[in-house]
Amino acid sequence: MPQVMPRNRAVIDTLPAKDARPPVTYRYAGDRFLLLEYGDMVLDLTMNFRIFGLNDALKRSGVDGLIETVPALRSMLIQYDSLRLPTRRLVDTLKQLEETIASVDDLNIPSRRIELPMAFEDRWTRADIERYVKFTRKDAPNVSNGHNIEYIARYNGLRDPEEVIHYLCATEWWNACIGFWPGLPFMFPLDPRFAIVTPKYNPTRPWTPEGAVGIGGPCVAIYPVASPGGYQLFGRTIPIFDLQQRNPAFKDNPILLKAADRVQWVRVTDEALEAIREQVYAGTYRYKIVGYESLNVKSYLKFLESVKPEVAAFQRRQAEAVKQVAIP
Amino acid sequence: MLEVLEGGIQTTVQDFPGRVGYLDLGTYPAGPMDHFAFRTANLLVGNAQGAAALEVMVGGLKARFHDRRALALTGADTQATLNGTPVPLWESVAVKAGDLLEMKMLKGAGFRSYVAVSGAFDVPEYMGSRATFTVGGFGGFEGRALKKGDQVRLNPGGTGDTQVGRRLRTNLRPQYGTHSEIEAMRGPQADPDYMTPDDMAFFFSHTWKVDRNSNRMGIRLESHKWQWARTSGGIAGGHPSNILDNGYAVWTVNVCGDQPIILVADGPSLGGFICNATLVSASTWKVGQLVPGRDTIRFKEVTMDEAVQMAQTLDTTISERSIERG
Repeated sequence: MPQVMPRNRAVIDTLPAKDARPPVTYRYAGDRFLLLEYGDMVLDLTMNFRIFGLNDALKRSGVDGLIETVPALRSMLIQYDSLRLPTRRLVDTLKQLEETIASVDDLNIPSRRIELPMAFEDRWTRADIERYVKFTRKDAPNVSNGHNIEYIARYNGLRDPEEVIHYLCATEWWNACIGFWPGLPFMFPLDPRFAIVTPKYNPTRPWTPEGAVGIGGPCVAIYPVASPGGYQLFGRTIPIFDLQQRNPAFKDNPILLKAADRVQWVRVTDEALEAIREQVYAGTYRYKIVGYESLNVKSYLKFLESVKPEVAAFQRRQAEAVKQVAIP
Repeated sequence: MLEVLEGGIQTTVQDFPGRVGYLDLGTYPAGPMDHFAFRTANLLVGNAQGAAALEVMVGGLKARFHDRRALALTGADTQATLNGTPVPLWESVAVKAGDLLEMKMLKGAGFRSYVAVSGAFDVPEYMGSRATFTVGGFGGFEGRALKKGDQVRLNPGGTGDTQVGRRLRTNLRPQYGTHSEIEAMRGPQADPDYMTPDDMAFFFSHTWKVDRNSNRMGIRLESHKWQWARTSGGIAGGHPSNILDNGYAVWTVNVCGDQPIILVADGPSLGGFICNATLVSASTWKVGQLVPGRDTIRFKEVTMDEAVQMAQTLDTTISERSIERG
């Protein structure tokens, strides 16, 4: 193999940790993009909060040549016009902004609260799970009684599907980022006392109905359109993506959810969901969105501290349960 | 109006740079796979370089004009004819109502052709762009590839007579081959933290075969046994290619397990696999002309400074000074 000497490094620059601020890494992603990362590869919502603080500060800075940003769990991808905005100037700007958001505690992140009706263990996801067992994997350990929700219960040491539903409705779901497919949210529980986890399908499921909601690892996703999928399903909600923009909620674009939204499930029956879905397409349903709220990071962190013992107790219960459960 | 008699394998309306500004809502930009040929086609007929034009994959488009306009074909040679007479590539010609354009099969190298008409195609803007996003089924002409019976409107405009007979200087025309060198930059996730220096040396020296299953979402290359700098992806998953989901740059090389895939126009905007290199903006157009299952590529590493210089040179090339008359 001929030796090719490295001519460049992927990492442009770093900023060491200071006080409460995590270290920052700035990476090249071609000549039009830069990837910024906080800290180590751990799942920590406070990193995600900091990303939103930085995103907000960057957009307000009005730096010339900035095209767009993609906030994600602990990283942000930045597209810029490198003919107008040299990489060095962009990195210097980003480093300066870190000083202005010295502590994540000071952040107030604008966050919409969105209530979505949810039919748990509904007949539509049931039908696709049935097809999966029939055509893809007959002995899928994650399917019992024709659905995934009992498996979610067993995997987390919860009594039954009812307790799973209680857990899912007991917390708001923080939308950390949108992506992979237009409008697809990656959501995490704001109340870690109810943080259930699951392994993913194996093999993946060729069918998932539009509006289906599932969990993979700690992350909950809503399927914007009918598609293959790998998450354990637990119900179906109303459209979060509508190409034809038939409802005022889709006035600006066909995508409902944004990063930093909080989603709350409201339990409804299959029949009620079907009726609401019809109203959505008729344009008469009003999505329940509260737009003026924000997430105060300081009080949230205080809350996290206060529930630590309960979180630890649930994690022990989960760890015990996992030993008894087959992985797909 | 352009009346489609046969849509061909995949003919889509595109614009450049596509649907920019929606990556944070999960939407990749779409747009032409070969922006050099696309922009040049528009330049030849006097349009703005980003104006709506057709991308014709492989060939098979048969269409009738209903207006008098200037027409330019660029990109791969599909042995196109106008009323049975061969149409030259990389220069603008006159068309009138009733003329029949037929794009047949590829001859020689290259995979995509572009069709620009003076005044440009008139399809509705969707999220700020006229580009067809094949995965989401939106943008362009009804969110899909053209098919028999479609009537694609043209913007009102002159006859295009003054735009006829313009040619891209011969020495500036790309020579497509079955092997391409494609300039890329290391990162975002490369050595030493995600891959080993040897992995990256292999990446930049190996002759990669373009997989048969390549399309407007991704150009798949063959799997390779990487050494990896990490033993696992930790919390993000068992495989060392796994990371906590992050945004994907457009035209980055995504290493999915063992397989590198160049994420192109209609790709996924975010995901949980490393990207070890990213194509530079002045080189991405070459990808649009790769023939799946046949062509090979080698990634040539360039620095940021070189990439910026290449982008400037390309912008200069695709400009009025490169056009000759006659």
